[in-house]
Amino acid sequence: MHTIRFTVNGHVEQATVPATMTLLDLLRDRLALTGTKEGCGIGECGACTVLLNGNPITSCLMLAVEADGSDIETIEGEAIGGELSVLQQAFIDEGATQCGFCTPGMIMSARGLLNRIPDPSHEEIIEAIAGNLCRCTGYEAIISAIQLAAARLSQDIGSRDAQEGRAR
Amino acid sequence: MRSLFCFSGFKFVRFQRGFIVLGDFEYKRIRSIDEGCHCLAEAAGKAAVLAGGTDLLVEIRNHLKSPKVLIDCKNVDALKQVHVDRSGSAIGASVPLNRLIENRAFHTTYPALATALLSIGTYQLRSRATLAGNICNASPAADSAPVLLVLDASVEVVGIRGPRSIPIRDFFVGVKKTVLTPDEIVVSIQIPQRADLHTTFLKQQRIRGHDLAVVNMAGAYSPGERILRLAIGSCAPTPVLLEPIKVDVGNVASFAGHVAEIVLSSVSPISDVRASSGYRNAILPVLVKRILHNLLAEGGAS
Repeated sequence: MHTIRFTVNGHVEQATVPATMTLLDLLRDRLALTGTKEGCGIGECGACTVLLNGNPITSCLMLAVEADGSDIETIEGEAIGGELSVLQQAFIDEGATQCGFCTPGMIMSARGLLNRIPDPSHEEIIEAIAGNLCRCTGYEAIISAIQLAAARLSQDIGSRDAQEGRAR
Repeated sequence: MRSLFCFSGFKFVRFQRGFIVLGDFEYKRIRSIDEGCHCLAEAAGKAAVLAGGTDLLVEIRNHLKSPKVLIDCKNVDALKQVHVDRSGSAIGASVPLNRLIENRAFHTTYPALATALLSIGTYQLRSRATLAGNICNASPAADSAPVLLVLDASVEVVGIRGPRSIPIRDFFVGVKKTVLTPDEIVVSIQIPQRADLHTTFLKQQRIRGHDLAVVNMAGAYSPGERILRLAIGSCAPTPVLLEPIKVDVGNVASFAGHVAEIVLSSVSPISDVRASSGYRNAILPVLVKRILHNLLAEGGAS
């Protein structure tokens, strides 16, 4: 067993985990952060995408013990005090979610993209979400939602997200 | 609330499942290369080095590998370094691919390698996966391998008997097999810088986007020497590097035919889940033609 310390959505957490536990299982089963989904479990589908120190990763392919000392962001960190993030609102406004299973991973990939590139091109959006499979929407609405979020963020520099110093 | 939840019956079931799915191994985080070599030597072949884990953890989950110890090398400073300059480059063994792809100097110095790395997996996987991991995994279809072969890269390793430098052309010995001894740890990949070379990488996939190579191929052309180097992946138990070929630009079509013959006589493609051997044999001359078109047009050979 290994004792690890890390932050999840800004909260410091400590956990004692077996070597064989994945970060995904730690988030879902120990911390009850079940917004992050398990799809394939082998890094193919992107449903378990979270941010590790700001970069999107698949949490099914990372051991919990490897997260020691790192900063993790999950879908639960998007809305603050019940207020949706600009990305979440854009997904709703564009009808970019149907069954919803891929949505948490999709939003975390989009979040990682907007952290790196605030005004992504169509191609850059496609590349960023190539690792997130969606069987419902056909992707076009998702791409539109990310474009909409980027546009709203660039216009609304006085928004809560901008005040927090990141592309919420 | 959260800590109470951990001890519920549901948690216990999931905990058990975790053990079943991901096998039974110990985890050790090393702080130095020497410590890593000693851990590896002690485990006598029962340990595996954990870098990005994007191949290793999938193989453990699928019961293809069952190491007793995972040795995490990501906290060793010497393995995190990237040096790119005119005399050549050293890519640390634990550097994630995205750090290379998003490094402007790396991109302009090794455009074909950057293209190959960008074709590996997805953004999320490339946040974790490493160049050293791609070659140590030793898949015949490893996308970085053909480019590293034509660039004459070498693999810097350290074992309990000291360091050694292994030319990449000697590194692969079979499907998922390398020349590394059980105590050796890869420190970096050294890539010579040849400003005169024109390089290109092509990958034939079943789908656009995230897929493994049906066939991949890299070429490096030196216009001054009129020498072409070509390497092919996913068509033999290891990636294949051809002997340097003297470029005859008199008749490009017949030259392409000549090169395609050399390629076909140097590989032994099999039929697998991604393609038949017949398809691979059919696509190889097409890729040769495209590579020559890219390199010779770019290289101003005509």
